[in-house]
Amino acid sequence: MSSDVVNTKRAKRQTAGPYGKVGNAINELDERLGVAKGGRTFMDKIFPDHWSFMLGEIALYSFVVLVITGIFLTLYYIPSTDLVTYHGSYLPLDGQRVTEAFSSSVNLSFAVRGGLLMRQMHHWACDIFVGSIVVHMARIFFTGAFRKPRELNWTIGTTLLILAIVNGFLGYSLPDDLVSGTGIRIAYSIILSIPLVGSYLGFWVFGGNFPGTTVIPRFYILHVLIVPLIIIGLVGAHLFLLVRQKHTQFPGKGRTEKNVVGTPMFPVFMAKTTGFLFVVSGVIALLGAFAQINPIWQFGPYTASRISYAVQPDWYMGFLDGALRIWPSWSFHSFGYTIPFEVLIPAVLLPGLLFNIAYVWPAIERRFTKDNALHNLLDRPSDRPKHTAAGVATLALLGMLFIASSTDVIANFFRLPLNEVLWAMRILVIISPFVAYPITWKICKEVQALHGGGKRKTANVVTRTALGEYVATPAPKYVDDEHQELDATPVPRFIVEGDEPESSGVRVADR
Amino acid sequence: MTSSLVKRAAIFTFATLVGVGPLIVFASASGASGSPHTAYQTTRKNAGTPNSSKVTLNPSTGVVISYGNKYITYNAPSTALVTLGQALFLQNCASCHGTEANGVPANGTVGSFPDLVGLGPATIDFWVDSGRMPAADVRAVQAIRHTPRLNPAQAVAIAAWVNSLSPSYPDIPTPNLKNANVSDGAALFALNCASCHTIEGDGDALASDTFSPSLRNIPAFEVVEAVRTGPANMPRFTGNLSDQQVDDIVKYVTTEIQHPNNPGGFGLGGLGPVAEGFVGLLLGVGILILIAYWVGERQ
Repeated sequence: MSSDVVNTKRAKRQTAGPYGKVGNAINELDERLGVAKGGRTFMDKIFPDHWSFMLGEIALYSFVVLVITGIFLTLYYIPSTDLVTYHGSYLPLDGQRVTEAFSSSVNLSFAVRGGLLMRQMHHWACDIFVGSIVVHMARIFFTGAFRKPRELNWTIGTTLLILAIVNGFLGYSLPDDLVSGTGIRIAYSIILSIPLVGSYLGFWVFGGNFPGTTVIPRFYILHVLIVPLIIIGLVGAHLFLLVRQKHTQFPGKGRTEKNVVGTPMFPVFMAKTTGFLFVVSGVIALLGAFAQINPIWQFGPYTASRISYAVQPDWYMGFLDGALRIWPSWSFHSFGYTIPFEVLIPAVLLPGLLFNIAYVWPAIERRFTKDNALHNLLDRPSDRPKHTAAGVATLALLGMLFIASSTDVIANFFRLPLNEVLWAMRILVIISPFVAYPITWKICKEVQALHGGGKRKTANVVTRTALGEYVATPAPKYVDDEHQELDATPVPRFIVEGDEPESSGVRVADR
Repeated sequence: MTSSLVKRAAIFTFATLVGVGPLIVFASASGASGSPHTAYQTTRKNAGTPNSSKVTLNPSTGVVISYGNKYITYNAPSTALVTLGQALFLQNCASCHGTEANGVPANGTVGSFPDLVGLGPATIDFWVDSGRMPAADVRAVQAIRHTPRLNPAQAVAIAAWVNSLSPSYPDIPTPNLKNANVSDGAALFALNCASCHTIEGDGDALASDTFSPSLRNIPAFEVVEAVRTGPANMPRFTGNLSDQQVDDIVKYVTTEIQHPNNPGGFGLGGLGPVAEGFVGLLLGVGILILIAYWVGERQ
């Protein structure tokens, strides 16, 4: 055995240098593109571990599922209102004149292998996408994460919610079945109800009078290209700002306004979040496989002369439908003009008002609190009773409007008279925010007064001294109830050798 | 003067053509026009009555026994059942409708208990055979379908007696589903029925205390009876639906509504987007939040 044999692992490693072959390759790349600095920032991005920070991830990953299943659907869907005679495997439609959009939607459900699963997954992913955006937004709102310096990201998020709802409605319309056609009809009427420009706007969107032939192709290109592109762009901006401004965090041991405590992007968070991607897609796949959604073959094709009773939109449009249902039939007819307030107020002004309030909320709150400081530490919702109560009141209003969109289902299911249900919903919608506000405010105040709420009570050890005096000493807290966390270790500044922390997991990043 | 007469005549002719033309077109389109069975096809005006259909008469009395076509046969209840029918009527119905079946004003409200004379056997048979009559709650705005208290033969007997008071139509129908087209039925159902019964046939609340019942569990002949007689709030479809079209609808209801070819998993009770929204939010988002809570830090 001579010493110049280099065919050992150690020798190979020595010739490859301290960073190995991969390291050398990346070094080559860095010398040309300067990727090391950005890559280091990316890999050292700290994510707080609190579970409520994963709500946005649900939205992100259901959007990934939406894109993948959506691409599959575009391979088979034909965005055309040309009439064809359906001759497929679903007998009750055999021989009917239907649009190509409807025919291809039924065919991709019945004749394409895995098509129905993909279509149902797409629809469930949409419901979950919008739902998780709302839950995520509620978390941001109640913990005060939207405050300075993150107002811009709040604005982007609100825009994303609107775009998600709009794209959900556009996609819901594409199969051109009886139920979605009714939805388009309502959307057309809502556009018409806008004073002065309504009819022009309606004709502009629909390319003429309803239903026309251009609406399906237009909705299609909006649904599969334009709106998703804007969403992807805004999601990118959302995440860029998240990295740039760093995460907020709940107050706790070792956490200040100047640092952020959590796990780094690589490797801990990346492994966790990839797992979560599969969890989200798994839940959506299970729903797609076992829970039927939107059976368009039963609804049949849309023609303007047909209507089904008991038609509701998808849940995220429910508050609009509910407002339309319960609004009294007020309208203005004079001077040769008609202004249908019963449509204009609930379907145009109400959502406009709600989303505008959402946009300007950070400014409103700053005006009231006179708080112009930077906030990186979050509030417990109970710490800000008025703020939390305002949020709960808004959610109560929206929830009641959502329930009002199913007046007929409630009346039929519980065998109640429909008119009374309608009146009850009118009253509930009006009083629910006023009931929710003081109750929430009071609960917040009560929670503030609680110390160690949710923790186990410790015993008071009472002893008697030799003189006969009784002394009560609280026993120490249970170990489980103490906040257990590793001490934070500082993150190295970009590329500094030999300064890697020994224990992985928790680090502190200086801002 | 003459010119105005001519003008009027011309206008009249034009109006007649415009008015009747579509009727003729509709009647020929709704029937199997050009097919050899046109002769048996009921038209707009006489649907459910024996006017132009294949009629079987009792050779001795000249009374109509049955009429109809290859789509629906209407059978008159046997006159032998009249005595039994009267006895059953007096036991089960007369307390409200009166011993003469002419309805009795309740607390001075005329029409609370309707006059049954001249309604035709199909009407009586429908109400009794679906268990709505004898009514469980006479004050209810709309009678609810129950397990029938009288068996089908007894229902026919009551129909026979009421019909003997003033013979009328339609008689009790028997649809022949072999000749029906389920695809036409689906289209006709969406056009005529879905606006109340919903497109999935589940029924729904309509107004105060009135509702459209579910179609999931009703026999074929009752569908025809309901369409042809228009019970409660339901419109009476006679002129605008031919027997062939009614037969198509019945086939669609009894096959695709009642036994739907329904892939895609658990149907969520046919409640549509309401149930879907609850499942999507509570089950979908809810489970994902729980998983996030499971894998995330909770302090």
